[in-house]
Amino acid sequence: MHCAPTATGTFLGMGMAAVTTTQSKRTSSGRPNLTAYLFLMPAVVLVVLFFLIPTILVLYISMTNLTSANFTADIAQMEFIGFANFTTLFNDQFAQKILFNTLFYVLVTMAIFNVGASLFVSLLTTHINRRASFVFRALWLLPRITAGTVYIMMWRRMIADPPFGILNQALGAVGGTPITGSEYVWTFVVIVNGMIGMSFGMVIFTAAIESISKDIMNAALVDGSTMLQRIRYIILPLLRWPLLFVISYQTLSLLTSYEQILLLTNGGPGLYQTEVWALTAYHRALSNYFGNAQWGYGSAFAVVLVVIGVLLAALYMRVFRFRDLVAEPKIETL
Amino acid sequence: MKKVLGLTILVVVGLLMGSAAFAQETIDISVRCVGGEIDRWRCENFAAVEEQVEAELGISLNLTLTHDAKAWADYKNEFLLAAQAGEAPDIILSGHEDVGAWAPAGFIIPLDDLIAQHSEFEDIVPTLWESQSWDGQVWAIPQDSEARPIFFSRLLLADLGWSEEEIASLPERVRMGEFTFEDMIATAEQAVAEGVVESGYGFYHRPSIGFDWLPYYLGHGGEIMIEDGTLVFDTEAALGAYELIASFAARGVTRPDMIGYDWTQMYTEVAPADQVLFYQGGTWQWADWAVNYIADLGGNDYLLENMGLMLFPAMTEEEGPLTLTHPLSYMISSSSEHPEVAMALLAAVTTVEANNRHAIESFHLGILNAQVEAEPYKSHPVLSTAHYMLDYTRSAPNHPSYSAWANAYWLGITAAHTGEATPEEAVQLAVETLQNELGDGITIR
Repeated sequence: MHCAPTATGTFLGMGMAAVTTTQSKRTSSGRPNLTAYLFLMPAVVLVVLFFLIPTILVLYISMTNLTSANFTADIAQMEFIGFANFTTLFNDQFAQKILFNTLFYVLVTMAIFNVGASLFVSLLTTHINRRASFVFRALWLLPRITAGTVYIMMWRRMIADPPFGILNQALGAVGGTPITGSEYVWTFVVIVNGMIGMSFGMVIFTAAIESISKDIMNAALVDGSTMLQRIRYIILPLLRWPLLFVISYQTLSLLTSYEQILLLTNGGPGLYQTEVWALTAYHRALSNYFGNAQWGYGSAFAVVLVVIGVLLAALYMRVFRFRDLVAEPKIETL
Repeated sequence: MKKVLGLTILVVVGLLMGSAAFAQETIDISVRCVGGEIDRWRCENFAAVEEQVEAELGISLNLTLTHDAKAWADYKNEFLLAAQAGEAPDIILSGHEDVGAWAPAGFIIPLDDLIAQHSEFEDIVPTLWESQSWDGQVWAIPQDSEARPIFFSRLLLADLGWSEEEIASLPERVRMGEFTFEDMIATAEQAVAEGVVESGYGFYHRPSIGFDWLPYYLGHGGEIMIEDGTLVFDTEAALGAYELIASFAARGVTRPDMIGYDWTQMYTEVAPADQVLFYQGGTWQWADWAVNYIADLGGNDYLLENMGLMLFPAMTEEEGPLTLTHPLSYMISSSSEHPEVAMALLAAVTTVEANNRHAIESFHLGILNAQVEAEPYKSHPVLSTAHYMLDYTRSAPNHPSYSAWANAYWLGITAAHTGEATPEEAVQLAVETLQNELGDGITIR
């Protein structure tokens, strides 16, 4: 029975020499592997349809003056105005503040919760009783699986201004000074979003930690390493790939997330105090109180967000040496 | 045999003629309305007049009425997308300001010619027509109106030492310009100083963006749109408005965190009339308070005893007292295949009987002059006494760029109210925003 080599270069029932030969043939011929491209097609179609085309459309709409007053779904009828929306955007006296808000929100939420706390919870729950760790992790998943509006309503009731609010009533009961939501608005925005985002990293990190070979850990134990040493010298270096993934994904996710802020503060109080870039795009394009939504101008905000996201993703890949991470195992390139 | 044949032919012909006479064209009309349960008559009125219109036009109607409490932005986008797809409902109810966007976009049709065919529209309160127009044509029919007055607590004014007569005459004194906005703030200041209300509880205003902020600008002589359709931002009027708004918190009559304050929390404090002296709101809120906030205290009867409402007192002598209305309006979409039938339906619901059903249940003001003389509107203790406010009402203009104007004006309000900018700086913020976004489309005075 003849066994054909698989697309990955491995095969069944043949020796290592044959592997090397196949590998060598595939790389030296330089011919495109049509089968591989065929396998890629469904993914390519989906990416083009749902990622590339919408991005191009948003880019085009950002260069039109599309509003409710001249709304059309026909691209040919939209009035092209070049970079006028971007000029208006960069001349907006609050654009800088909104950009700073966005960076602050993304960095602080990610550092404290989406990466920091999720890594901490993962390390903690992989070093305690397995059953207890399941319960603990399930509890941390609650904010993620609770309906967003319900979750925010709970927070709003919790931090409502005195004499309302569970927090203030608790503070009052122990003789504490009542607090108002507007005083600690960023604290609450970060906590509310962080509690949701944390579970993602927790699941990824926990899975990665648990997949570390027991042999390595046992060897470290035999060498007399402490728990902190094992975390520092074994676990964290082996988490480089999940860390890159979580940081990249969560940066993009936080950059484009605005739903919780919309429901919690709607960008206020005061002058854009908690307004983030994605929320401005939403406000401009889809939720103008007075009716005439600015689809073109709102799209310009969205395009800037896409550019920032792509630049940051490229930066992360460079910092974490993405090429090294996805390089084929040396055993297969001998 | 001939007799039988003749009789058969007669019967067949008779049947054919009879069926032709009785065969009526069935016309599909869809109506889209928005609002809570208490606003149900916005749509249900069409069902109530269905037979009447069928009889008048000799047609058979197949009405599709859709009413829900969708958020405004989603509701408007739904219409926008449906209109673009040519699937918009025949009749759409929305804020009158949408005329400014939907008329130039071609999503709704002008109604002047159709209005002329129905006498029902002749009795509409004249001040409401301005809000239904754009570019010299009428594009909408008012569905309801309201006054956005100042509510005052009879209870707290009595605590402040006002006599019953002084309290009862307050709305009239405001109307005559004898009790000004400054008098109102001074009274609130006095109430705080004497401990009748807590600091910050003398005057509550809207906690968020909205039309309610316009009276401050209009009351200082500001114009939004001039006759040729150009948008105007009057810096002097805006400065007056911002100075006044900034003074509320500075004088201790309004809580500094009023902008961004929770609506439910605010109503909980306002409705019992024992914590907040003056409140700037809308007539329809009365119905909400009676049912949802103070039902245990006696609901409507309690409010009648302890709460009163008056015009916005005069901010300047020239402008005098005023109020604002934001009529919801019926529009006919350009997708409608039967605009004449849609208009006949609109005429049928623009009657005292039909509009009273909505006005009484939702505490909105009527749109017809005759309503004030008709029962049950006439004997309604709130609506009948507030109806005169329609003579003092103003409204936002219908202009495609009004939203940019209003957002910039709101920016200045937020800046001045929170103290993040002085009133002068707030004016500058608004001006720069308007110039950046509208360019030549705005005249700064």
